[in-house]
Amino acid sequence: MENSIIEISGLCKAYGEVQAVRDLTFSVREGELFAFLGENGAGKSTTINIICTALAKDSGRVCVCGADIDREKERVRETIGVVYQGSRLDGPLSVWDNLESRAALYGITGAAFRRRLEVLSERLEFRDILRRPLRRLSGGQRRRIDIARALLHQPRLLILDEPTTGLDPQTRKLLWQVVEELRREEGLTVFLTTHYMEEAADADSVIILDHGKIAAEGSPLELKNAWTGDHITLYGVGAEELSALGLPAEPLRDAFRITVPNTAEATKLILAHPEIFRDYEITKGCMDDVFLNVTGRRMEGGEAK
Amino acid sequence: MKTFWVLVRRNMRLFFKDKGMFFTSLITPAILLVLYVTFLGNVYRDSFVMNLPAGLAVPEKLLDGLVAGQLISSILAVSCVTVAFCSNFLMVQDKALGTSIDLRISPVRPSTLSVAYYVSTLAVTLIICLAAAGLCLGYTAAVGWYMSAADVAKLLGDVVLLVLFGTALSSVVNFFLSSQGQISAVGTVVSSGYGFICGAYMPISSFGEGLQKVISFLPGTYGTALVRTHAMQGAISELESFGLPETAAEQIMLALDMRIRFFETPVSEAAMYLIVGGATAALVLGYVLLNKLKKR
Repeated sequence: MENSIIEISGLCKAYGEVQAVRDLTFSVREGELFAFLGENGAGKSTTINIICTALAKDSGRVCVCGADIDREKERVRETIGVVYQGSRLDGPLSVWDNLESRAALYGITGAAFRRRLEVLSERLEFRDILRRPLRRLSGGQRRRIDIARALLHQPRLLILDEPTTGLDPQTRKLLWQVVEELRREEGLTVFLTTHYMEEAADADSVIILDHGKIAAEGSPLELKNAWTGDHITLYGVGAEELSALGLPAEPLRDAFRITVPNTAEATKLILAHPEIFRDYEITKGCMDDVFLNVTGRRMEGGEAK
Repeated sequence: MKTFWVLVRRNMRLFFKDKGMFFTSLITPAILLVLYVTFLGNVYRDSFVMNLPAGLAVPEKLLDGLVAGQLISSILAVSCVTVAFCSNFLMVQDKALGTSIDLRISPVRPSTLSVAYYVSTLAVTLIICLAAAGLCLGYTAAVGWYMSAADVAKLLGDVVLLVLFGTALSSVVNFFLSSQGQISAVGTVVSSGYGFICGAYMPISSFGEGLQKVISFLPGTYGTALVRTHAMQGAISELESFGLPETAAEQIMLALDMRIRFFETPVSEAAMYLIVGGATAALVLGYVLLNKLKKR
């Protein structure tokens, strides 16, 4: 596909009897924020590990930036930066030592390393902790260093594997601010897995994985349209008045909520009953609803329930 | 090449900054020291005195020199291998903590990573063991010095050879490990077991005949014999100058594992070097092959 930075077709991977990934086919366009959703064990990490060449696939084809992961591993590795769920850096070493050793893996040493570190420490605000051992840092500080490690070699594709889990709101905000800047200024493509559905709602495209298979895909709007209805919240009406609509209404604190299949239906309903719809708002279903309807399970705090 | 040296430096820093790994590597030498200080030193001293021909007057200093020679040869022979194992556990720890994935998703060649582990283990073990050799020689000088310059040079050469052997052996063994539990298990077995099978805690000559034959197949045995020979032969020669008959000196050297027989055939010093050197080369080759054959 034109402008695709990741192209996957027929990807399969099994661990013994367990089929972790089943016949996955999808692509990610250059520069987009791509959300890859699924409960724990759905196959997200397996797919990520295959994309970044850390794990061998059983079958299928995976290309990153036009390079086949089997034939051109080095080229693929040069273009990918990964922020793992948990830090993979060395706890006893200082931030400087950690980043120096990881930069060297990409041939970035000496003055080139110092220049790059200057840029990253400025952008991610960690200049004052460069000499501190990583294990003495707070979770938020450590995450910033993880992101700096992933960006050391200026990758074209940044893989974020649940990057904000357990982070304080300030660090979460900083992370997304940096990611947005990089997307805007350098055209960075972001491949995101997350348990926070509000983060997925900002993605350009989304795939929901269920038991190793694609259960739904599209833009957040397409998914909402396909998998959820519109909610009409009505204010200043009583239950008796609402019964005229002949639709189930969910009582809220100061209002009632009616769910209709789509916006057209909502418009039709409002036009048919202007005496009831005096004070109201229409909202689309959220990504939580999409996830719930696609998988039958709601994502709560990292676990699908 | 710069990448390689940065990786070696990273591995070495991690070893010295990880107090657990560093102090674990010193457990076996510490056990030996405690054993000698508490009773083993006296046992050997009494044993030397009892086995000397009647009427042979030997100065206290010479006896102290003999016991010191046995102590330092045991410490050095065992440390070269156990320190190498502990230092090389970094390779396993990287796998257990998932750090190795972070290293392997970069464009650096897997062989560079493997050689960096090898070289850093070698360097760390050399630093610790040569420092230990310096301390041991200082101790010997304090209690009774009978070593020639050639003995010292050969002893240091033996340490380097045994460090090469220990690094190669630990690289092959640790290649198959991938969890903290396995690190603990192998660490315990090596720390407690290697001292026995290489003859550091008790001379191999004091074991049963069958066990002696089995142990004679292990290259580490000959490494210990080399270290012990060069640490003690000066003191034995001094004993001879006090009138110890040559046959009695031979008996003492046999009892202390300075002379080793492979079944009934005496093994020369040159052959011992060949055995340890050959085993090291074979293990290095094995490590290279394992890395080449490794699947992702």
